[in-house]
Amino acid sequence: MNDSTQTTPVGLLEEEQIADFIRHAIKIDHPREMIIDILRAIQVNHGWVPDEGIELAATILGLTPLEVEEVATFYDKIFRKPVGRYVIHLCDSICCWSLGGEAIAAYLQEKLAIEFGQTTSDGLFTLLPSCCIGACGRAPAVMVGHRIFGHLDEQKVDAMLDELRKEASA
Amino acid sequence: MPTLTIDNKTVTVPEGKTILEAAEELGIVIPHFCYHKALGAVGACRMCAVTIHEGSVKGLKMSCLVKVEDGMVVTTSDERSVEFRSRVTEWQMLNHPHDCPVCDEGGECQLQEMTIAGGHGIRRYDGPKRTYTNQDLGPFIAQEMNRCIQCYRCVRTYKDYCGGRDFGVLGSRNRVFFGRFKDGMLESDFSGNIVDACPTGVFTDRTYRFKSRFWDLQEAPSICTHCSLGCSTIPGGRYRELQRVRSGINEEVNGFFICDRGRFGSSYVNHPERQRQARSAGETVSVEHALEQLAVEARRLIRSHGSEALLLLGSHRASLETNWLLNQWARELGARPPVFSAHGGRQATARAVAASKAPLASLEQVRQSDFVLVAGCDPLSEAPMLAVALRQMVRNGGQVFVYDPRAVELPCEFDHQAVTPLELHEFLNDGGADGKHMRELLQQAKSPVLVGGGDLLGAYGMVQLQSLAERLANAERSCLIYPVLAGPDSYAAGLLADDRSETLLERLESGKVRMLVCAETDPLLESSAPGRIAELLTGLEQLVVLDHLPTAVAKDADLFIPTRTPLECDGSFINNEGRVQAFARVLEPGIPLAQENQGGHPSREFSTTTPGAEPWAAIEALQSLLSQNLPLAELRARIVADVQHLQGLAQLEAGHPGYQLCGGAIKASVSDRLPEQPEGSLQLIVSPARYGSDLSSRYSEKLEPRFVGARLQMHPLDMVARQLQEGDEVTLDSDLGSFRLPLISQPDMARGCVVVEHNAAQTSLVPGSGVSYCQVGKEVTRD
Amino acid sequence: MNETPQLLFKNRRPGETVFMEGYRATGGYTALEKAFREMSPADLRGLVKEAALRGRGGAGFPTGVKWGFFPADAPGVKYLVCNCDEMEPGTYKDGELLKADPHQLVEGMIVSAYALQTEVGYIFIRYAYEPQAENLRRAIAEAAAAGYIGKNILGSGFDFELHVHGSAGRYILGEETALLNGLEGIRPNPRMKPPFPAVKGLFGRPTTVNNVETISNIPHIINGGAQWFKDLALTPDGSGTKLYGLSGHLNRTECFELPVGISLREIVEVYGKGVRGGKRFKACLPGGASTPYLTPAHMDVALDFSSLEQVGSRFGTAGVTVFDENTCMVAVTLNLIRFFARESCGWCTPCRDGLTMVRWLLETIDSGKGIPEHLEMLKEQLKNISGNSFCALAEGAMGPVAGLLNHFEQEIVDHIELGRCPLRK
Repeated sequence: MNDSTQTTPVGLLEEEQIADFIRHAIKIDHPREMIIDILRAIQVNHGWVPDEGIELAATILGLTPLEVEEVATFYDKIFRKPVGRYVIHLCDSICCWSLGGEAIAAYLQEKLAIEFGQTTSDGLFTLLPSCCIGACGRAPAVMVGHRIFGHLDEQKVDAMLDELRKEASA
Repeated sequence: MPTLTIDNKTVTVPEGKTILEAAEELGIVIPHFCYHKALGAVGACRMCAVTIHEGSVKGLKMSCLVKVEDGMVVTTSDERSVEFRSRVTEWQMLNHPHDCPVCDEGGECQLQEMTIAGGHGIRRYDGPKRTYTNQDLGPFIAQEMNRCIQCYRCVRTYKDYCGGRDFGVLGSRNRVFFGRFKDGMLESDFSGNIVDACPTGVFTDRTYRFKSRFWDLQEAPSICTHCSLGCSTIPGGRYRELQRVRSGINEEVNGFFICDRGRFGSSYVNHPERQRQARSAGETVSVEHALEQLAVEARRLIRSHGSEALLLLGSHRASLETNWLLNQWARELGARPPVFSAHGGRQATARAVAASKAPLASLEQVRQSDFVLVAGCDPLSEAPMLAVALRQMVRNGGQVFVYDPRAVELPCEFDHQAVTPLELHEFLNDGGADGKHMRELLQQAKSPVLVGGGDLLGAYGMVQLQSLAERLANAERSCLIYPVLAGPDSYAAGLLADDRSETLLERLESGKVRMLVCAETDPLLESSAPGRIAELLTGLEQLVVLDHLPTAVAKDADLFIPTRTPLECDGSFINNEGRVQAFARVLEPGIPLAQENQGGHPSREFSTTTPGAEPWAAIEALQSLLSQNLPLAELRARIVADVQHLQGLAQLEAGHPGYQLCGGAIKASVSDRLPEQPEGSLQLIVSPARYGSDLSSRYSEKLEPRFVGARLQMHPLDMVARQLQEGDEVTLDSDLGSFRLPLISQPDMARGCVVVEHNAAQTSLVPGSGVSYCQVGKEVTRD
Repeated sequence: MNETPQLLFKNRRPGETVFMEGYRATGGYTALEKAFREMSPADLRGLVKEAALRGRGGAGFPTGVKWGFFPADAPGVKYLVCNCDEMEPGTYKDGELLKADPHQLVEGMIVSAYALQTEVGYIFIRYAYEPQAENLRRAIAEAAAAGYIGKNILGSGFDFELHVHGSAGRYILGEETALLNGLEGIRPNPRMKPPFPAVKGLFGRPTTVNNVETISNIPHIINGGAQWFKDLALTPDGSGTKLYGLSGHLNRTECFELPVGISLREIVEVYGKGVRGGKRFKACLPGGASTPYLTPAHMDVALDFSSLEQVGSRFGTAGVTVFDENTCMVAVTLNLIRFFARESCGWCTPCRDGLTMVRWLLETIDSGKGIPEHLEMLKEQLKNISGNSFCALAEGAMGPVAGLLNHFEQEIVDHIELGRCPLRK
């Protein structure tokens, strides 16, 4: 028990981040409000939240892993399974749908040779459907990280993938 | 109070009640899933829709959420309500696997009932069903999530009501999952309640899996025997096997739930080594023969050696009737009055409680209290449902203070002062500034309750608690006491005991006892000094045992008479709060079919008798010794005639909440002195383990996954002072002998103490002796 | 071309964000100075009530009335929470506002907190708006540096701290009590009401939850006055301007600040520059995914709360999503229902399982496998889900279904009779 909580799994949070979170948790009246902050921070560092991430958040906040998991599994943007370096959230809500979102979805699946929920074999892209990403005026659109790529057509999808690949190899 | 009309019937109910509750008063059951009397209304299932015709809101509404109003008019079976509820049923059944034929819930499934009642026989939805991978939740609970209708009762029971923190809601939308973070045994000591709470077959009793259909099960209202609280249970048996226990409802005591010890701790009834036949000098005899022999020999013994030659020993496991009959038999024989507990300390404590003039609280009053002081009690070990009751009072805004040397845990917020037993007594007497502050808090409380753990406080501490309660009472309210005793009938044992009678140890040490008759007790396991008792028993001419547990003493007795367990006969117990409650026979004794045929076909040996059916109810056995055979009601009438204090016993019925006795009818002489602490010694606390301290749980193999080994706990600073380390095998020297135990560091306990758990692995030190001392070291210090 | 006075979009320039300097240059924080120096909290609450500002988050509840319920004078911690969990499809106005001018919200939060005497504020912001959250963090830091946030603001004796709380993506968090649970770090199911947040909200304390646009209007009301604000609307019972987010089959899909009460025709023809490809207007969602459809018959309806209610729809968030004549309304409704079913929190049966049933019915009809009974079943679902769920999510989900059955029932019948979508070749 002690061993598992004292050794932090590599890459989840920097020691300094952990110390900051603990300091903050002690300072505020309701440390539970930090759950999403911590999980998102783990995700920034590690890409997704493994079981150890849930346990780490629980340790920081004085909760049981279950209590963290109850919250974590509610949200769409907390990944409890491995994802690629870039998660492409393809909006499938009404505005994007009305302007050819389904065709973009098909094209992306074809180009990446994966289905929704899968990750490319090079570990670069994960494709996920998403509800409205607030880019209704720029439909059809996807969100990668916190970047929006809008007014998509096949050429723009190609350009986006090229840009991301280039960025990854840089 | 508002008066309203539901289905053309008028009812007046208190302000704040909901339509659903008001309908219940009229006997109208509005279909519901998520509503539960103990858990409240959450408006999730939408099953309880009714139509409101007059009221501040009108139309189709959820009856669990709408508070009653004067003049309200409601219908529950109008077309609109019925239509909506049948839609709800259809929605709930979208994903249901329709596996009722293999589901353990079949026949007692609320979903099944509602689906049939709602006329939903044809599936219209033919889309995909969501499915889940189940988790392994350990040996007690089986999970089958595909059957789930998401009423959230399980988490509301496990987390909200019982305070468990390892089971909850995962996921969302139509993929909500109820389970743990990872596979593994549910940690809560109240985990089994999710079986009762689940309205369908998601959570079922794993120990009962595929054993019986509900309609084949023999059930009867019973009283739990695993501690002194007297929770209501409904055990069920079939094929001569006790197969499961579910919670009964007694709103004065346990409410709707029970603990896992009570739920999974009754397989002792089926114990394969259970002694089912009478034995005399090693030879099997009939029970009648054994009883006749006993009657003759007891009489002869008294005639030739006087009243002290025969000692009758009752017990906190035996029923009120059994204990009273022992008294009668002693009177008839002209023997000295019986001793009612093998454990002198526990008997004195029970006597002090039964004599208490300060009023005792019911468990419901604990739940309703705003301030509870727990003195010398570890509820999760000694009275698990008390812990859940404390949680409810904290949830209602109440406060709990625990003064106890042990590292007490509770499923709620509380304040813990780790004090030694001596400090605790001092605190109850006066306690300086801290004691004064606590008395002030108690004085300010609206409905204070003092919980006292009998094993740690002893009779002396109980009297202290009573005098504190008397001091804290005022004109507007009393201060109630909630004593925790050792067993289901401790109170009765205390009540019936002769105030002048000596303890078992003293009587045996007098050297005058030639025959000891143990009625449902094993002095080697249940006395304060098992080692000394073992020596003394060798000096007896005859050891007679009437019991249903296969203890060593039952196996070694010169004369053994098998008795029925409380699940195989009728009787009554008096619980810790002085509440007389009846239990009814669930099944007839017999070797479980599955045990007898070893899993094969039924036995090929034909006989007209049931194998293993020999045990008699102890009250029948004792009546036969008294040459009588009164029906229970008449027997109880006799008891009342003898002990007027028990008025009401004659009307007692199993399954009813029972009635609380008024205290103060007897007197208890209690020593007002505590033993002096020898130089350099530590205070010894023998604490019941959560599982396996009470004998019926120790002999229930279902509970074995919860058993822990023998261990000695000590504060780390005390360890340092003695140059001891966690994991060391240490020697504990006490008046009761010298014992080797592995050492565990426990930073949350009091300094200057050691805690030794009493369980299947450590049977020599038994709780209940009050303040005592020991030496602990690495080496064996005694010669 | 847009002659509406620009309040909220005053500082909006493509690709730019205005911070303290730019915000001040156009009169930023003058309302705050005025409020703290010249007005009492009660004055402020009265002003907002007088201005007849209605909540911009979708429900349209009068803000002044909501504030009137708030126990501003009660002792102890109270909270002001800004709902920036803008996740209703077709709605992106708050995101646009915060991209352009985050200080507006910050100033609004401070004066609203003063009006309500809440010493702690949270801006609860959706995951996808992380860039906007960054803008807000910077704006809050600047405001704190200027002495507008912190202890004893402008010597008023009033303290206020303001936090940005990021979410992790679920539509239900836009429901105010679910949002409060989300903020607390527990499962964001909606809470039972009563108790209402004003009595028992965040961490059990009195709390008011208001939308970004609502709060951002407050400084403008302080500056311009109640009557001026009311007069901005084109309809007599309307009030103020509104951010209209255009989307769908229009030639221009942008967000505009226009008066409350503008006609649908003007939105479509003038600001949306007409339907794409010269096609005819078939229908629109007037205010986000949960608002029943408008049809060509509604082109001259004024877009405000009461006018739209009169025609069986809702103003919602004023996110107008337009569909052209080639659009299959069964498919549109199916898309919307898929969204709502997926965003159900899983608490109550009509939403969790009822929407699953509706989704299946629409999928069956859409795929040409429907039978006449399915139309009746759809009506039956509408009747039984509407009004009977725990919170408003399922209620909202039924908006488009109601619209479909009211205006496009024939299209359902055609699907069933043809065994395929009549609009697909």
